[in-house]
Amino acid sequence: MDELSDLRVVELSRTAAGAFAGRLCADAGAEVVLVEPTQGHSLRFEGPFRGDAFDIETSAAHLHANAGKRSVTLDIDTQAEALRSLVLGADVFLTDLPAHYLDPLRLDWASMHRDAPGLVMTRVTPFGDTGPYRRYEATNLVCLALGGQLKITGDPDRPPLSNFGSQAEYQGGLSAFAGTVANVLLRDASGEGEYLDLAIQDVVATNLEHRPPALNLGLVANRAGLSVSATYGVYPCADGWVYLTAFAPALWERLKSVVRVDALEDGRFATQSARLEHNDELQAVLTGWTLSKTSDELRAFALEGYPLTVAETPERLLQGEQWRNRGAVHEIEHAAAGRISVLGPPWLQAEAPPPRPAPALGEANAEVLGAVSEARG
Amino acid sequence: MDWRTGKLPLAGLRVVDWSLYWAGPYLGMMLHDLGAEVVKVESPANFDPMRTVIDVNRYVGAKARPMTPQERQNVNQHFNEWNRGKLGLAVDLADERGRQVVLDLAAESHIFIENHRPGAKSKLRIDYEDVRALRPDVIYISISGFGQTPPERDAMALGAPVELPSGLFWLNGYLDDDRPAKTGFSYGDPAGALAALSATLLAVRTWRRTGEGRFIDVAMRDALSFGNGAAFVDRSMNGVERPRRGNRHPVFAPQGVYRCAGADEWVAISVRDDGDWAALGRALGDPDWQADPSLATAEGRRARHDDIDAHIEEWTSGRSAREAERALQEAGVPAGAALDFRQLWHDPQLNARGAFQEVQHPAFGVEVRATSQWGRGKLPQPIDMPAPCFGQHNREVLTRILGRTPEQVGELERDGVLANEIRVSAD
Repeated sequence: MDELSDLRVVELSRTAAGAFAGRLCADAGAEVVLVEPTQGHSLRFEGPFRGDAFDIETSAAHLHANAGKRSVTLDIDTQAEALRSLVLGADVFLTDLPAHYLDPLRLDWASMHRDAPGLVMTRVTPFGDTGPYRRYEATNLVCLALGGQLKITGDPDRPPLSNFGSQAEYQGGLSAFAGTVANVLLRDASGEGEYLDLAIQDVVATNLEHRPPALNLGLVANRAGLSVSATYGVYPCADGWVYLTAFAPALWERLKSVVRVDALEDGRFATQSARLEHNDELQAVLTGWTLSKTSDELRAFALEGYPLTVAETPERLLQGEQWRNRGAVHEIEHAAAGRISVLGPPWLQAEAPPPRPAPALGEANAEVLGAVSEARG
Repeated sequence: MDWRTGKLPLAGLRVVDWSLYWAGPYLGMMLHDLGAEVVKVESPANFDPMRTVIDVNRYVGAKARPMTPQERQNVNQHFNEWNRGKLGLAVDLADERGRQVVLDLAAESHIFIENHRPGAKSKLRIDYEDVRALRPDVIYISISGFGQTPPERDAMALGAPVELPSGLFWLNGYLDDDRPAKTGFSYGDPAGALAALSATLLAVRTWRRTGEGRFIDVAMRDALSFGNGAAFVDRSMNGVERPRRGNRHPVFAPQGVYRCAGADEWVAISVRDDGDWAALGRALGDPDWQADPSLATAEGRRARHDDIDAHIEEWTSGRSAREAERALQEAGVPAGAALDFRQLWHDPQLNARGAFQEVQHPAFGVEVRATSQWGRGKLPQPIDMPAPCFGQHNREVLTRILGRTPEQVGELERDGVLANEIRVSAD
């Protein structure tokens, strides 16, 4: 929680990729100055808003990903020099804007490295600085498509389905944060700044477990909907959904010991290859069992270590005991949004204070930009 | 970072990687990419199950006979992807001498990673407290489904099933569908691995400054939920359930995945603003429907999203996904073909950035492996080693790192404490 507390990070972002990386810097104790366009960061427009009434201060996407940051507003097309001064005085410059946009504004790595040799710079963009797509326009959805995660999600007889939210940008943001800390470690040792050119497409295409067998065995997986097989997939239960995980012999025995249906002892289901061969029959037997159980009954089995997981709504997770015990969720007071629940970083920080609320647009203009213009004389 | 000169942030650090399946092994691989020496530790009865989950013969020819688990142990393409660059140590953990080898190795290492179910490692007595007794400054990382805290500590979840209790499954789904939807891969694993990597690098910074280690507890569930943190803020702020939104976006309109010519060919298109809308018109040859003034604003386009989708699909269905992508990108519209794995492998951008590299594996032969995501674009970053065969580096680890004599190693080999073959009965 204080690993980066000696660092000032300037974040110039337009998407969730930069915003997530900056959020994690703030969680690790860095002072993060979010540089927003004068109308506000794109996440301020995404919502949902408090009471569904448009307000750039209560967009949930902003309240989550920009928590813990300071906010300044700058028109980078006309105030690039002020931004440059701000960046040169920082330890880390984090951006998700492409080189062909920032380089002409003298916000390029080469000249900034010359003027501030200790600066660490991370750029996380859809395709990176090099290669034939470097000037491609992209969104989260386009990154999922060209990174291979889109085509395998959804039902086989329907179009590929995007995951909820900004998952490509989230993966890019996580990877950009890790890469930034890695470069801070190098700077700690040498005093010398480092540059990271990270492409979201690269990250998305790397984070795929079906790719290695596809490339080396010709095994091209397609969309499988809810179920990979009878022993590895989602089933409906009386009031929700449950995932059964029984693809290995020990897991199968353990599942049988909780399902306790005679039909499972049938020879057709004696080995994993037999179970795959009689997949549909097995699925019918197991569906009969899951439909007879409620989510609560299945949760009790899960807590005893049986190989199944139960679908939860966000509401239920917020109220659940596990996150409260872990300090994974914090109730904080936000000036415009009121009392809200904000998740802490995705690793346990038992004693950590709650994240500071996301900033009002330009709240640090006088303090942060004033100091820069004084320093520039 | 520079793989040619070895200027890497974790150079000089050693990692004990006692992990299985995907999340833990992926973390170990990334620590190696950042410069650490990583020793993959397995036991003949307690090996990484990824070694045997796929019978390669099922896919290289329908008539080939099934492979035994022992035949599978070194050729699995999941295992070999996420364990490249590691040294392989296989010791019998049920034998006290084998357990001592692992503890001695932990004492000589800076980082220890594991992702067993919480009960399993206690049984083998290689918990944080056991390692810390020998190595007080160890950074010990546990990745699990729900974390090391009660009440859900002992619940079981792999990277795909954990999506249900994370909330992501509930939020996912086709437009206005009553049914949730599942991500097409084990998303909890890479999300958990990247979160764990982040926490590990932060811990290394503290360790270098203070000499203090720590215990890191990462839950794959938490890593997935954090990516959807906005939905949790929304629920707490507004207390209402939202309809599922499929491929649509709260701001961009239209946005969708459109059918193209050919079987199961699709292109993703996003119109972020009115500028993109005008560009879309140019790419489509300025059709009359597109010039409708009621579609000039995002609000107007959202109101008639279905109509617009039909018109766009009329255009996309007459060309390949790549043709549609190129025409739209030339006009400046965000668009991309939905690539399958084979297309990924041949994608000009991924290849220009050096995403894939061929490696010679002693048991499988030539394999295609992904390179490090932080080295793409400018640096050649040769993959230095393929994944280890089971127990491949037993002698090297015991002599070079632990200083055992060849005689001592020979005795452990004779007694089966060091192993080269997994012990499992065929299913």
